[in-house]
Amino acid sequence: MPVEIITYLVYLAISIALTIWVAHTLHQNGRVFLVDVFHGNEPLADSVNHLLVVGFYLINLGYVSLALKLGYNLASAQEGIEALSVKVGMVLLVLGAMHFFNLFIFSRMRRRATLRNAPPPVAPDAFTAVREA
Amino acid sequence: MLSLTVLYDPLCGLCRRVHEWLEEQPKFVPLILVPVKSDEAQRCFPHLDHDPTSNDLTVITNEGAVYFGPKAWLMVLWALCRYREWSYRLASPELLPTTRRVVSLISRHRYQISRIADLAR
Repeated sequence: MPVEIITYLVYLAISIALTIWVAHTLHQNGRVFLVDVFHGNEPLADSVNHLLVVGFYLINLGYVSLALKLGYNLASAQEGIEALSVKVGMVLLVLGAMHFFNLFIFSRMRRRATLRNAPPPVAPDAFTAVREA
Repeated sequence: MLSLTVLYDPLCGLCRRVHEWLEEQPKFVPLILVPVKSDEAQRCFPHLDHDPTSNDLTVITNEGAVYFGPKAWLMVLWALCRYREWSYRLASPELLPTTRRVVSLISRHRYQISRIADLAR
């Protein structure tokens, strides 16, 4: 088998495995966070969690697939490993960026949710009796 | 907190404009806008001293907590979804003195501002 084909196959195997691992981590650990954001509404948290993971898969696998093409021939196994490391490194960086982007979305959702229940910014000046209208 | 009653000055064009703007804003806490010294204001808050309310914006919660002037403005911001974060920012020890100064300046000159901005219909 030519070196290029082996490199492509190894690249795909590593990238897809990494994507699945990161998505799995996100899915498992993001759930607790989302349940808190949605005030214990577990079905909603699970649904949003699932939707986020689907988006994560689509973007990452899309990138992996677009970045597959090498564009030049490989003369030796050494060049194959070097090309592979560049490709996998790029995938790792994209995965990292996506992961932090997801964390950012989680923390923003959480901040919004805590804001809704936050107390007034200042203490009252006085108290008075209120008669219902 | 279930609602905030805002006692506003119906004679000032700026206040009426702000009133219109407030009605369009998404809110965490509903705002009930009542003109100052109106029958409704007297009826809802029979024990409140209504004289200072015509000088400064007054906000009263449904639990009876009263906020005057700059604090009332901060409470109005706090009720709005888009500006709740700003209410904390402006109420921080670093910014509160500036907030007080700016709010009381606007409050004192509200008729002039209305006239200049052509809001006094």
